[in-house]
Amino acid sequence: MKKFIFKSVLFITIIATIFTVILLQVDGYTDPFYIRFTTPQKDNLILGTSRSAQSLQPKIFDSILHKEFFNYSFTIAYSPFGPTYLNSIKKKLNPQAKNGIYIITVDPWSISDENPNDSTKFEENNLTLAYVNSVNVYPNFEYLLKEYEGRYYKLLKGKYYHRLRKSGGKMFLHNDGWLEVTIPMDSLSVAKRLNNSIESYRTNKLPNRKFSSLRLNYLKQTITFLKSHGKVYIVRLPVAPEMLEIEQELMPDFNEIINTVIPISNGYLDMTSENHLYQFIDGNHIWKESGKLTSEKIAKWIETKR
Amino acid sequence: MLFNSIDFTIFLPIVFLLYWFITNKNLKLQNALLLVASYFFYACWDFRFLFLLLFSTLLDYYTGLKMESAVNQKKKRFWFWVSVIVNLGFLGVFKYYNFFVESFSGAISHFGLKVNPWTLNLILPVGISFYTFHGLSYVIDIYKNRIKAERNFVDYAVFVSFFPLLVAGPIERATHLLPQIKKERTFNYPKAVDGLRQILWGLFKKIIIADNCAEFVNEIFSNSTNQSGSTLLLGALFFTFQIYGDFSGYSDIAIGTARLFGINLLRNFAFPYFSRDIAEFWRRWHISLSSWFKDYLYIPLGGSKGGNWMRIRNTFIIFIVSGFWHGANWTFVIWGALNAFFIMPSIIMKTNRNNLETVAQGKLLPTIKETLQMLVTFVLTVFAWIFFRSENLSHALQYISVIFSKSIFTFPANISYFLVFFIILFMGIEWYGREDHFAIEKLGLNWKRPIRYFFYISIAILILLFSGQADEFIYFQF
Repeated sequence: MKKFIFKSVLFITIIATIFTVILLQVDGYTDPFYIRFTTPQKDNLILGTSRSAQSLQPKIFDSILHKEFFNYSFTIAYSPFGPTYLNSIKKKLNPQAKNGIYIITVDPWSISDENPNDSTKFEENNLTLAYVNSVNVYPNFEYLLKEYEGRYYKLLKGKYYHRLRKSGGKMFLHNDGWLEVTIPMDSLSVAKRLNNSIESYRTNKLPNRKFSSLRLNYLKQTITFLKSHGKVYIVRLPVAPEMLEIEQELMPDFNEIINTVIPISNGYLDMTSENHLYQFIDGNHIWKESGKLTSEKIAKWIETKR
Repeated sequence: MLFNSIDFTIFLPIVFLLYWFITNKNLKLQNALLLVASYFFYACWDFRFLFLLLFSTLLDYYTGLKMESAVNQKKKRFWFWVSVIVNLGFLGVFKYYNFFVESFSGAISHFGLKVNPWTLNLILPVGISFYTFHGLSYVIDIYKNRIKAERNFVDYAVFVSFFPLLVAGPIERATHLLPQIKKERTFNYPKAVDGLRQILWGLFKKIIIADNCAEFVNEIFSNSTNQSGSTLLLGALFFTFQIYGDFSGYSDIAIGTARLFGINLLRNFAFPYFSRDIAEFWRRWHISLSSWFKDYLYIPLGGSKGGNWMRIRNTFIIFIVSGFWHGANWTFVIWGALNAFFIMPSIIMKTNRNNLETVAQGKLLPTIKETLQMLVTFVLTVFAWIFFRSENLSHALQYISVIFSKSIFTFPANISYFLVFFIILFMGIEWYGREDHFAIEKLGLNWKRPIRYFFYISIAILILLFSGQADEFIYFQF
């Protein structure tokens, strides 16, 4: 029996060591979330959905505001305002942070839901943020073993298998949490993606989603929580006019709704009036070059408000 | 709790250590541990169905005792039928009720009558077909005076719910498993190592072969209307290896796990794709189910004693019932009937027991005749699997019609060369080990230790690399 146990343990140890080395190969190309769960707790955060994940570049904020920012935004499915995202933010934020700056991006999608009045039915309850308890460890085996989608041999290839790759694009998640999307920006490709995106939002999301006072309440709770650690700025990012039109159909009174939030924050910047100044990869997400301008503009606005 | 999950990787060593270090001095304690572990294992899916399992176990335990103590044949028969009706009743309600109701309403709608069928919104309890058959074989054996009723409830409950076989077999017999449960077990090093090797090979089959085939199979079968004949043929071929890797992989893990606890389970697969005719295939595929149907259905129906007509009738009955056992869908029934049809020539010509030995025994390669026989059997099997995998009969027929169209001569769209490489490697190893209980039972035993270890570690690393979110086993749904 001792021999059996000894050999089994030896065998398992060798395999576990080799497998660990393989798991350490994960980089920003491998997975669009992993890096965000591997850094230490942060003092200054950028929060929101995929819009802010792809457009707001922490390095630009760092250089203008002289603080180290971290983009802890995910997607509309994973990180709309709600109990799951708030709990995850609490884990990611350094509890000792005092003079932090927190940028929260808002839009009608992140305060709406298919089941607006029942938080137990929120989609994100069954997604990554709800399941990953450790968000500040490297390597994060919990995430890789529980949440990594796909087979582990793909880690060795060092490239994230995303459908964007089929259209010649790729994603890279930077160590500061910014998700860089490189994708063809010729007018034909952009028009095709815009049409697909608008059609998808109009047929799949718009008819099914409704304003959620619950989500709005969680947005307020998130702001209140973050205000105890510093200043909170709310931003509505630019989108393509076609997308703005859908958002106005979804929530015609968005401005009135957000007006109830502004007083508890340190300021609100609505950038939708400048939509024409930026380029979008699909009408929804700002192209990385325009993202630089957006980040710069927000950082300078915050600088004036401090 | 899936065999290929992290949960099971933690669960198994804990139960193993408790079994051999804490409860090893007391057989009753060991069996109690196995029962608690098995119920915990089952409850991990859905604890509510644990009550159904417990009820079914209590029912067969009680009726078994009642049959044995019955003062006359009438009373014995009464308790026998109580058990059979309740067991099959549960199976019928959970698995077949909606099918029958919908089929009936569909049938009468052809006569212009419209009814809204009253269907049940029920989840199929995992493993119900397997533990129901365990229980049935037990009560039938008591009724036929083949065994005595088990008086120790814990021992009987372990027989029904022993966790390695609980959800997808092999379907055990009381005559084989109960004596092992009642006998003191001592740790046997070669047996345990052998068990680990079989688990390793089972995981290889499941994770590398079945799960990778599944990706392509799901894509091809769900979009079959847009695919060429060659792609659909490839999809059918991949499914052929998927279902084999999935189910025989599960059986290997189950048998290997049981060996770690000093228990031998019935063999379930014996390299079926190297069969030279369909009769041989069915002696090598899901052996525990085939032999169950043979012993508890085919022989009671008269078997092959009553001449050709009875043999044909009984063969069709067991194949159709076997198909129906797999699921409440006409595709399974047709799959069973097709296999009955394929086996008919050898039944009629009484050549169904021609190929009892392993093909090319003691030789490296088969003869040309054997190769052709294996090829024909394989093609028939692939054809039948199309019905097994399709959503419904019209899907299967559409799928087959495209395969037999001109587009069969185009290059398949979804070919994966690395998967083809793994399948060839897998079948090569299976061919090498076809005379053993599982393919790598003796492979490498004569190699130098570092090379042998390198081989096992390489397989384990490959398994980990190709694993991801644990995929369920196909046979859990049956």
